Amino acid sequence: MTAVSKISRRDFVETTAAGAGLVVATAAPIAAAEAPTAPRSNIHLTVNGVEHHTEVEDRWTLAELLRDHLSLTGTKIGCDRGECGACTVLLDGKPVYSCSYLAVWADGHAIQTVEGLAQKDRLHPLQEAFIEHDGPQCGFCTAGQLMSARALLYRNPHPTADEVRAALSGNICRCSNYNRYVEAVLAAAGRKA
Amino acid sequence: MKAFANANPRDVREAVTLLTKIHGEGRSASIVGGGSDLLGMVKERLVEPDVLVNLKAIKGLDQLAVDAGKVKIGGLMTLNTLAHDPLIHKQYKVLSEAAESVATLQIRNTGTLAGNVCQRPWCWYYRNGFPCLKNGGEICYSASGENQFHAIFGGGPSYIVHPSDTAPALVALDAEFRIAGPAGERVVPAADFFVLPRVDFKRENVLAPDEVLIAVHLPAARPGVRSAYHKELDREAWTHAVVSVAVVLEMDRHVCRSARIVLGGVAPIPWRLPKVEAMLAGQRITPELAAKAGEAAVEGARPLAKNAYKIPLTKAVVKRTLLSLAV
Amino acid sequence: MNTLKSVGHATQRIDAVKRVTGTATYTGDVHLPGMLYARVLRSPHPHARIRRIDTSKASALAGVKAIITSENCRVIWSTGDSKNKRYLFNNPVRFAGDAVAAIAATDRHIAEEAMRLIDVDYEVLPFVLDPEEALAPGAVEIQPGGNLSPNSRNERQPDIYRRGNVDALRTADRVFEDRYTSVHLNNAQLEPRVSVAHWEGPKLTVYASTQGISNCRTDIARDLQLKPENVRVICQFMGGGFGNKNQCHDFDLMAAVLAKNSGAPVKLEFTRKEDFVAVHGRWPTKQYYKVGVNRDGTLAAIQLRGYCGMGPYRKGAGGIAGTELYQCPNVETMVHPVYTNMAVSANYRGPAYPQGVFGIESLMDHIANELKIDPLEFRLKNLTRKYRDAIPYTSNGLVDCIRRGAEAIDWKKRWHSAGAGAGPLKRGVGLAMGCFSSSLGRSSAVIDLDSRGRYTLHVGVTDCGTGAKTTMAMIAAEELGVPLNQIEVVWGDTDHCPYSVGESGSRTTNYTGWAVIQAAQDLKRQVAEKGAPKGSDILTASASPEPAIKDATRYSFAAHFVEVEVDIETGRVGVLKYVAAHDSGRIINPLTATSQVKGGATMGIGMALHEELLYDRKSGLPLNAGYYGARVMTHRDAPEIDVIFVETEDAYGPFGAKTIGEPPIIPSVAAIANAIFNATGRRIKDLPITRDKILGALA
Repeated sequence: MTAVSKISRRDFVETTAAGAGLVVATAAPIAAAEAPTAPRSNIHLTVNGVEHHTEVEDRWTLAELLRDHLSLTGTKIGCDRGECGACTVLLDGKPVYSCSYLAVWADGHAIQTVEGLAQKDRLHPLQEAFIEHDGPQCGFCTAGQLMSARALLYRNPHPTADEVRAALSGNICRCSNYNRYVEAVLAAAGRKA
Repeated sequence: MKAFANANPRDVREAVTLLTKIHGEGRSASIVGGGSDLLGMVKERLVEPDVLVNLKAIKGLDQLAVDAGKVKIGGLMTLNTLAHDPLIHKQYKVLSEAAESVATLQIRNTGTLAGNVCQRPWCWYYRNGFPCLKNGGEICYSASGENQFHAIFGGGPSYIVHPSDTAPALVALDAEFRIAGPAGERVVPAADFFVLPRVDFKRENVLAPDEVLIAVHLPAARPGVRSAYHKELDREAWTHAVVSVAVVLEMDRHVCRSARIVLGGVAPIPWRLPKVEAMLAGQRITPELAAKAGEAAVEGARPLAKNAYKIPLTKAVVKRTLLSLAV
Repeated sequence: MNTLKSVGHATQRIDAVKRVTGTATYTGDVHLPGMLYARVLRSPHPHARIRRIDTSKASALAGVKAIITSENCRVIWSTGDSKNKRYLFNNPVRFAGDAVAAIAATDRHIAEEAMRLIDVDYEVLPFVLDPEEALAPGAVEIQPGGNLSPNSRNERQPDIYRRGNVDALRTADRVFEDRYTSVHLNNAQLEPRVSVAHWEGPKLTVYASTQGISNCRTDIARDLQLKPENVRVICQFMGGGFGNKNQCHDFDLMAAVLAKNSGAPVKLEFTRKEDFVAVHGRWPTKQYYKVGVNRDGTLAAIQLRGYCGMGPYRKGAGGIAGTELYQCPNVETMVHPVYTNMAVSANYRGPAYPQGVFGIESLMDHIANELKIDPLEFRLKNLTRKYRDAIPYTSNGLVDCIRRGAEAIDWKKRWHSAGAGAGPLKRGVGLAMGCFSSSLGRSSAVIDLDSRGRYTLHVGVTDCGTGAKTTMAMIAAEELGVPLNQIEVVWGDTDHCPYSVGESGSRTTNYTGWAVIQAAQDLKRQVAEKGAPKGSDILTASASPEPAIKDATRYSFAAHFVEVEVDIETGRVGVLKYVAAHDSGRIINPLTATSQVKGGATMGIGMALHEELLYDRKSGLPLNAGYYGARVMTHRDAPEIDVIFVETEDAYGPFGAKTIGEPPIIPSVAAIANAIFNATGRRIKDLPITRDKILGALA
């Protein structure tokens, strides 16, 4: 059940100037009809090495599970339609759009998110390079860029600039700091070597 | 999103039985391969399934096998796996390139071959829920509306273009589609799988609601075959084909013995060009012949008000792709 | 040589670790106990009167806690329209996407489900999308009083600027007449609009996604009739601005009312589609120019008649800017802001410039070509020396921007007669100029010093990605003469920060940065007088300066140079080389300033080549909302942007800094268009320059 704040409507009216302007909804208190039931399933998945046994609604996306139910809000939802890449996570090491993948399909799989990149207090070389090269401007696409870059370096530790662009082309940066992200990934690859 | 149940059948038979059962109960079901496009459609309420029949748990459906020369690709193989499969890359390059050209890596990592072949149109009237022919309505809004990305061939009464990149490649490769249904399995040649709107404007292929595309069979690779897929996008990544072409040539040194050429992005189905194919048979592919082939490729095109640019574009991609294989 | 210790040195963002570890809290990441989720039901029609709304079925759905509509919520959203009364929910609805109801429920799926249970009976009205058609006799009236929106003096007249007399067109040696158009396109910042509202007694806290917490608070207090001190606005991290977020939005108010009515915190979320169609984007324009030119290649007169489609509410200024880039004795601009039934238009990066500069800089390029003058020489001859030929600039590095940019792209070698070359791949270069006001004005800063020598800087910035937190800290460190790591910055919370102008109009560095300097100077004076604080003492210095410029005006300038390759058989345009030269005075932080320029220029390329919110003319409904539909630039589309800073000395602003955030998108669109002309010999006069237009022009 939701925690109900202590203020009453009367308090509210008193805080507002008398007369015109703000009118609050006056509908009668809403009587609860039968609770809508959405089918649920039990799943078990690993997120950043941590095992989770959890019950999910079948309709929840993986992004929704991570953000709203596992408190891993580093993964962002930018479009919720597989068009921008902000929600990119690794599913068994491969980048996928977590907004376009159901949580229930992740049953039995291993997920990596941005929160799993740094080891204790040590940033991942990609994170260090992202900072040095000023990759994130607003930072909202950054988790997705990082995860796509992480997957790229798994399969290709020394990519060319064009290979970086190709691997990250499913990740929109509206601040359009693309040059910087590419530089940063190349620098991190060099560093790893 | 609308509430639905996710079902994970363990084998194809169970999947088909489940589909039949759900439909029999008057409920709706959607078949899920990768699911990324389907989820978008569910979110937009273009489809309102009660049950998602998720094929991901079916063992072996994502595998590739060679059987008596034929290459059998499970429908659930992801586009990325397909694009990087060494055998496909070497002997069926057109399919490898088509798979690699789809959307983004994230989508190719979940999206499947069968899902790509069966993808619903990306016409913006359809996707925005206009009551169009595809959405159960009575008119095609693109015909006299914003039709810059619509059909120049085979249109009417609907003018969608088929959205798949792999479909033109598979038609060019003379593939066969294995379909499982309540009555068992059937095999349909790729060219017969797709349905023009004048035949049935509600769907894009021959699949019945309780049928599943489970595999694609490629004929044995023959020596001298060269193939390529070329796609023109509307930006440098992640759009459907504005115009694309799949070309498969059987070459005897510099002479083309036979050709199969199929366009994408220009018609409601993968659009084969038999006349151009005939022009090329027995010929050396010179720049002049390639240019003639490009001209012939657009014969009979009937552009709408805003898509005439697809005609020079089609000419160019046909000409260039042929030349790229001639050397 | 830079003798400064902090300012002018490339400096990593002070909040960078949070931005790369997923620990930065954006508005959508805020989760409060018992929080409800809210969704907005929107009009499916471009113009309709609501006869009846029946919410009974939606109300009866378990989990639904509050529903507001035009029938039970009459809150006025005052910053939603500067000319008319705009409610949170309006009747009639005036564009496809106008809000009809908002619902709060225990989860977002229930809220969405409930939305579908609201039964709305619409009487569909005629609509108009095009601003010129909207002014034609017989056009449907969108707002009372007609479709010509009042001008800046609140008259039902176009906005008119005049100097000299454009009758000079009659006697000019040559007159060029042309029409350019631009389209509606969306900010498309990655973070979807979202607001979280929470009441504790009389006090309302709103977690907003805003570029200006101070204005956002003032607006919410006014519209909900609360005392400003009873409103707290928090924005710690923001997923991109790009304009028109320096105020409160309707969804902030809706969340607050829903939270009040339901007695629980409410998070109101937008879908990406709503973000594209229901908030605002850049105003589309139609620009009719007449330019008279003298035999010596100087300008005799410029006349512009323009129309801006503002959508049905007057949220933005409207305007078509750019003629001020030129020296010319006779100028007349007459711009009509017009109501239409399209998505609302408002400020989006460089508000009136990118589209206006596309027009005027394309036309000047055309004139140079017709006169057979190198377009670079034509600019050098005619570019602005004084603002509107009258007021001196405090500094003007435009000539240097052009010279250095030209050198970097090797203009002399690469520029050729238009359309030269055999193809099918044809190369061409283009250039365009830009400018943007670098004003000064009121803002505030507070600095505390404790006995351990820690400085805490309080500034009301949110840092929408510009690097403002870091810039403010660098300015403080410089003025205080201490290392950057001794400064802690408190930002993004009206309960802990003084007034700030907000991150719009490229004003933060100039306004708030100046306040930081003043506060630092005050603190140094206090330390000199009283000595350093001891024990638990804290010295506090604050400043709210309102600097002004005497007998001059202050502008940033830029010149962009680009080389493109156009495939004349496929219409594809590739950007091969891009040079952006900027005079933004002294650069406080070259690292983040360079990112701003790279980003702005790239965004401009997208505007030039791809972006448009396209409407179906028959239904008045948008067709391509979203990143896929808008063809927003991707990694593969973005060229390398070479950045040159021409650091003019300017006597005003913090350490002589001028604006940098808005300018980079301004010359970009025209530079691309001019390069395409140079490559193909065809001038595309309607944005965006898509392949169908290129192939059509070449056919």
